[in-house]
Amino acid sequence: MAISVKVMQRKNQEISYLRAALKGMALTFSHLKRPSVTMQYPEETKTEDWKLPERWRGTHRMLTDEQGRAKCVACGLCPQICPANCIKLVPGEDEEGHRYPLVYEIDEFRCVFCGYCQEVCPEEAIHVGQHYENAEYSRDRFVYDLERLCAQTHPVSTLWDPSDARGE
Amino acid sequence: MSEELVKLTIEGVEVSVPRGTTVIEAAKEAGINIPHYCYHKGLPIAGVCRMCLVQIEGAPKLQISCATEVAEGQVVRVFGEEESKARSSVLEFLLINHPLDCPICDQSGECELQDFTFDERQGQSRYNDFPKRYDPAEQFGDDVMFVANRCILCTRCVRFMDHAAEEPVLNVSERGDRAFIGMHPDAELNHPWAGNVVDLCPVGSLISKDFLHKARVWELDHTDSICTGCSQGCNIHIDTREELVVRLRPRANEDVNKFFMCDEGRSNYRWLNSGDRIEAPLVAEGGSLVASGWDHALARVAQIVKGSTGDAVVLASGKSSNESLFFLRELFGEFDLKAHFRNFTVDGELPLSGVEGLALREERIPNGTGARQLGYDDSFNGVSNASIFLILGDDLEGITPEMLSGAKNFIYVGTTLPEAARNADVVLPATTVAEEDGTYVNRDNRVQRFSQARTAPGMGRPAWWAFAEVLKELGRGDAVDTAAEAFDAMASNVGAFNGMSYSTLGKNGQKLAESSAGVSK
Ligand code: SF4
Ligand code: SF4
Ligand code: SF4
Ligand code: SF4
Ligand code: FES
Repeated sequence: MAISVKVMQRKNQEISYLRAALKGMALTFSHLKRPSVTMQYPEETKTEDWKLPERWRGTHRMLTDEQGRAKCVACGLCPQICPANCIKLVPGEDEEGHRYPLVYEIDEFRCVFCGYCQEVCPEEAIHVGQHYENAEYSRDRFVYDLERLCAQTHPVSTLWDPSDARGE
Repeated sequence: MSEELVKLTIEGVEVSVPRGTTVIEAAKEAGINIPHYCYHKGLPIAGVCRMCLVQIEGAPKLQISCATEVAEGQVVRVFGEEESKARSSVLEFLLINHPLDCPICDQSGECELQDFTFDERQGQSRYNDFPKRYDPAEQFGDDVMFVANRCILCTRCVRFMDHAAEEPVLNVSERGDRAFIGMHPDAELNHPWAGNVVDLCPVGSLISKDFLHKARVWELDHTDSICTGCSQGCNIHIDTREELVVRLRPRANEDVNKFFMCDEGRSNYRWLNSGDRIEAPLVAEGGSLVASGWDHALARVAQIVKGSTGDAVVLASGKSSNESLFFLRELFGEFDLKAHFRNFTVDGELPLSGVEGLALREERIPNGTGARQLGYDDSFNGVSNASIFLILGDDLEGITPEMLSGAKNFIYVGTTLPEAARNADVVLPATTVAEEDGTYVNRDNRVQRFSQARTAPGMGRPAWWAFAEVLKELGRGDAVDTAAEAFDAMASNVGAFNGMSYSTLGKNGQKLAESSAGVSK
């Protein structure tokens, strides 16, 4: 059974798309004249008005002393506080009787980047860093050993703004 | 000390203590720990640290509670403003010289300076420009290291060496702000009980080289146990870190070892971590031992026991628990049993001369008394013409295979498999003292409990469990699931233990009935 359909009759200027298309293109072309806001990552990693926040918590870095040795004294506080249980530490003693980390590893895959390790460290040795480019070809490369942690050069995180420690 | 009681009030809590008690001890009765450094219950009172100052109503000034005796009707205040201020000041003086070593200090986590500094919130000293400084570390003895910078001059170590060890090799050298702990130039801190100064030192000044950097103390689990070093039966803590025993420390028991343990006992823990353990029951098949399950191995033992008659010989290690020794006897109840234990003796006791009744004893096994009470003797010299020979836990050192060869059936129950036991018919994996609950009897007839500190590797189970399972298999008993059940079964069977129960033994143990002589069944 046929259904009777009522066809509305409209004026031409009402159903023509031309006006809308031209309007859209006008907007598009007007953008050509505006300054670009797209950051050309990875060639560009920061722009005038955007950079990684200072309190960004990313891949770790172990700071070193003047002789290039890790500042860590293997006190055991960071493995204790770490909520992800991803820091492995075996303490040892060097020739001068100083306590130092024989083994120090952080599994960056398990890390939740809470920054507690940096906060608890009495020696200002371990830090979370202003860093986020972590691609690797294998999973085990994400376990950073002491050498690799010391070799990182990225800036470290400022966990809080010293002038506003309470975040107010 | 007369038993006349004196009533006093400490921080609003009323306590009655015998006349002659010090205020600091009376406060413990009231559940209050008055902060202190130089005072230690096991040492003579010195009164040098001034940390224990309290307010006693009526006294013109604050008094040191460690050297003040209680008096009738005394009212003592510990946590008032004035007392807290006094303690804070004492701490402030201590912190002039004390370095901020906590991150590298082994004492960190069980340090009384840390604890009280934290309690009193006195983290700073207003005077810290000229701390006195010494060489970082000095070797005092084979195991004791001295870090002079951390010392707070409480003199506990000096008093221990003077009055407990009676070998006065330590002293306070120099005076006033130059004072430090010195050692006699021709002496070393190697007295057989010297290791106790490490426990006594309230800070990380005297530390054990053996334990150095091994673990942070907050990672440790502490289990109450008994030293296996000799028949003294010192009460100890087994400190474990992730299933590894990392140190032994004395546990206070006024009736046995007071607060101390000897160095021999202290260092005797490495065997508890041994890696060469039997991990599964082994059953001889076609000339070699084959790993099997418990069911099969126990059935095999039951079969051997059932199919034999006549003589049975057992040789148990001196470290076997009473429970295991008892169920082993039960297992061979229908045999003509010769039960032996292995004894080790060393000539000459090494006493802690200033403390009565405490020495590293000649009998270097923990449970000789228990074994004798259960009818074992230490006169093993070989097996001949026995139908069954069973070894429990002995490592067979000094025993030749010929001495073991005179039995038709040979069962070995133990933790490691010595060469001489490789021709056993059945081998059952047992547990060490750190892996099971049980009891020992020390030389003074004191029955003492030890508890499990780590899990046994593989399928190891306590020997009493295995023997009870075999008895069940033979239809001569019920399964025994806990050491408490095992002990209680023994207590109702063996005269000497009559009337005792595992749960009432408590932490300090209980003496055997006076007139107990051997097994009565
Ligand atoms: S940032 Fe947090 S989760 Fe990551 S290692 Fe540090 S403490 Fe552990
Ligand atoms: S908290 Fe700092 S010093 Fe301590 S172990 Fe961690 S990195 Fe090392
Ligand atoms: S070394 Fe330790 S026990 Fe000895 S006086 Fe110093 S703080 Fe006290
Ligand atoms: S005296 Fe005996 S029981 Fe006490 S710690 Fe020494 S070896 Fe162990
Ligand atoms: S504990 Fe009383 S003065 Fe030291």
